[in-house]
This record gives sequence, structure tokens and C-alpha cells, in this order.
Amino acid sequence: MGYKVKLDIFEGPFDLLVYLIERAEMNIYDIQVAEITSQYLSYVEQMKEADVNVATEFMVLAASLIEIKSKMLLPRSVPLENGFEQEEDPRNELVEQILEYKKFKAAASLLETYQQEKMRCFQKPKEDLQPYVGEADQLLSLDIRRFVSAFNLFLRKKQRVDEVRRHYTRVERQKQSVEMKVQYIVDFFKRHSFRQVFFKELVPPSGNRYDVVLTFTSMLQMIRDRLVRVEQHHSFGEMSLELVLPGEEEYGEKGEANDDQKDD
Amino acid sequence: MTTKKTIKSAFESMMFVWGEPLDVKTAADVFDISWKEAYDCFLELKQEYEQEGRGIRIIEINKTFQFITNGDNAPYIERLCTPVKEKKLSQSALEVLAIIAYKQPITKGEIDSIRGIKCDRVIEGLLKKELIQEKGRSNGIGRPILYGTTDAFLGHFGFENIRDLPDIENIESAVTAEDPEDEVYAQQIKLDF
Repeated sequence: MGYKVKLDIFEGPFDLLVYLIERAEMNIYDIQVAEITSQYLSYVEQMKEADVNVATEFMVLAASLIEIKSKMLLPRSVPLENGFEQEEDPRNELVEQILEYKKFKAAASLLETYQQEKMRCFQKPKEDLQPYVGEADQLLSLDIRRFVSAFNLFLRKKQRVDEVRRHYTRVERQKQSVEMKVQYIVDFFKRHSFRQVFFKELVPPSGNRYDVVLTFTSMLQMIRDRLVRVEQHHSFGEMSLELVLPGEEEYGEKGEANDDQKDD
Repeated sequence: MTTKKTIKSAFESMMFVWGEPLDVKTAADVFDISWKEAYDCFLELKQEYEQEGRGIRIIEINKTFQFITNGDNAPYIERLCTPVKEKKLSQSALEVLAIIAYKQPITKGEIDSIRGIKCDRVIEGLLKKELIQEKGRSNGIGRPILYGTTDAFLGHFGFENIRDLPDIENIESAVTAEDPEDEVYAQQIKLDF
């Protein structure tokens, strides 16, 4: 074929079929089914190659075309006792569908010209009728000079902040893993020679949600590994972690850990 | 007794403020006159604007009236400012709309079978734009929804009423006679959304 076509201009299988029939300058009432079918199939193939998601509808029409093509090969007149009876042309239904589709395709382009015409006329949006109804909106009563100076102040502050920021590059902290955090907590106990710490002490002061969740999951990990005991006396209350000393007997936890944090 | 002149003048002011298509009935109620009287006043106004070649025109959309600019002045308006244009409808939207306009009330299944492809999303878009609306249900199996066009549809294309739709029953002959070159050319234009 050696003929590339913009694949996305076809609005559907009929659109493609009509295009092929017209391009081949065939009479719509006498479609060369074999020729059109092979062209149609190679287009669908091209569409697949171009990675266009070929709609199932295209395949459905392909199947119908193949069916019609095979029916065309069969003799269509059935000899009867009283002579010949002409059977229906297998293309009839398809022709009717194509004609119907073409009619509306033409109607669509007619509508388009009307649309084009109408778009040259402009209209006003509906007025805000509030002022006429008496319940006019309350306006912000503020001296314009004060408003401007407040805005300037805001802009200047932003500029100063930006100025400072420009001298610093933002260092993205590496996200900590649970293992690292567990190690940190163990070290924390050692460093402070505490036996007990509150949960919130383990979250860095600049901590975001990630840090809180990480600390919490690390704590759970430590409970599982029997490194700490955790107590919480009431829902949403402070959790305290107690280091389990080697050889110490394991107690069941009192209260339930609750991952709804009140910090942050 | 209000004179016709007063009424027409008031209607002009009302249309100016209203902006959107003004229903004849609403206008008639303001003056407590009959619908027919009000309608005639609007028609007269409309004619006057046309006869005088004004830059503002009045259009009728299904028994409502609205001020719009004279289309011939579009180039000047575009020199003055960049008016926000309504989005053009895509080719598929136009096809579905054409089918609905001519065959209403019609079910989604019927539309799909004419176009040979599912039109759910196009229909959804047209419903959102309020160019089509649900018009009850068919008595067929599953009682599918019937669709029809709206007044906004008439307005979008500049039709006074649905009877204004151009005749398409004999359109095929015109289409078949079309030069295939033209066809391709037209398609390229349509791609320019």
C-alpha cells in the first residue's frame, strides 16, 4: 500500500469503511467485498502496530466483512421447481448500515457549519442581579492604602525569605528504615542510661508523619523481638517504652498500643 | 393601559439585564399581558433590530429571546478583545448529536448501532454540556433511557426550534457526489480541536 494515514481520524469502524470505499471510488451499491475486506484488515493491523488501542467494534466489523466475503463465493440463486428464486444479496444489510451512517456523518458536518456560524455571535452572561434584589453582597470595608501596604509587607517578607532560601540547598534526608530506627532507639536507651522513655521522645522534633509512623512500626518490631515493653494507660494516652533487660521475665503488655498519634 | 411601545422598550431592558434567553412567559407575567401579545412584541423587536442593521441582534430559541452580537462583527470584536469562545464539539460528539437530533427520542443502543461503536462517553459529555437530556424510557427490553436535544442545543447551533434542522433525507446524493479530495480536506479541519 505504501500509504500512511492518520489513524486517529476514524470515529469508528463504519467511518473507516466509508473512507476505504470512497478512496477506492467504489459504488456503494456494488462493493468489492474481497478487496475492501483485505484493505480494512490491513488498516486494523496498522492500528495495532501504531499501538492504537483497537476497539473491539473494529474487530466485529472485520468479522462481518469476512462473513459477507465468504457468502459472496456461494451461488446465490437456488433452483426451485418453479424456476429460480433469487436470494438476498449478502451485502444488503451492510450497505444499508453504511448509508445510514453516512447520512448522519453528513448531518454532523452540516451541524458543524451551523456551529461555526453561531460562534461568531457573542452573548452576555447573565447579570448578577443581586444589586437589584436589595441583598447586595457585603464588601470588605478596608482602606485601599492599608490594603496595599499590607500586601506589600507580605511581598517583601516573601522576598526576604526567598533570598535566604536561595543560599541554602535543601538536603533531602534519606528516609530511615525500620532497622535503622530500631538501632537508634536501642542507642537512645544506652546513651541516656534510661530504662524508660516516652514514645514522643523518640520522634525527632522536626518529625513529620513519616517519622511518627516509622517510630511506631519500629516500636512494634521491638515489642515482637522482646526488646521493649510498652505501656499505655488509656486510649490516645502517652506510650512509654521500657527496655527489657536480658534474662528478664517477659510480661504481657498492658493496654493496647494505639497508632493514632496526638503529636503532629 | 401600557402601550406597546412601553412594553417593547421594557422587554429590551429586560433582555439586556437577563443576558440568558428570556422566556416569553416570564416577560408576559411582568406586564400581566397574554403570552401571544408578549410574543408578538418580541418578534417586532427582533425585526426592528434586523431592519436597522444593528450590531446587536435578537435570536429566538424555542419561545425565548436573547440578545447576541451580529455575527458579521466578529472580526472587530476579536480585534478589541479575545472573547472566550465556547469549546467546539468534537467530530464524534457532532455525529452523536446529529443522530439524537434527527431521531429523538432515541436509545443509546440505537445510537451505537448507527455509529458501529459504543458512544457511552460521548453521551455522558453531551449530557454534561446539557446539549441533550433524558426523555423518559423506552418500552423495550430493560426499558432503556431515551435521549433528546435541549434548548441549549438549539442555542449552540442557532436554531429557533427543532423544525429548523436542515433536511437530511436526500443528503446521500450530495455526499456521494462529493470529491474525495474535499473529504480529506474537511477531515483535516476537523482535527483542529
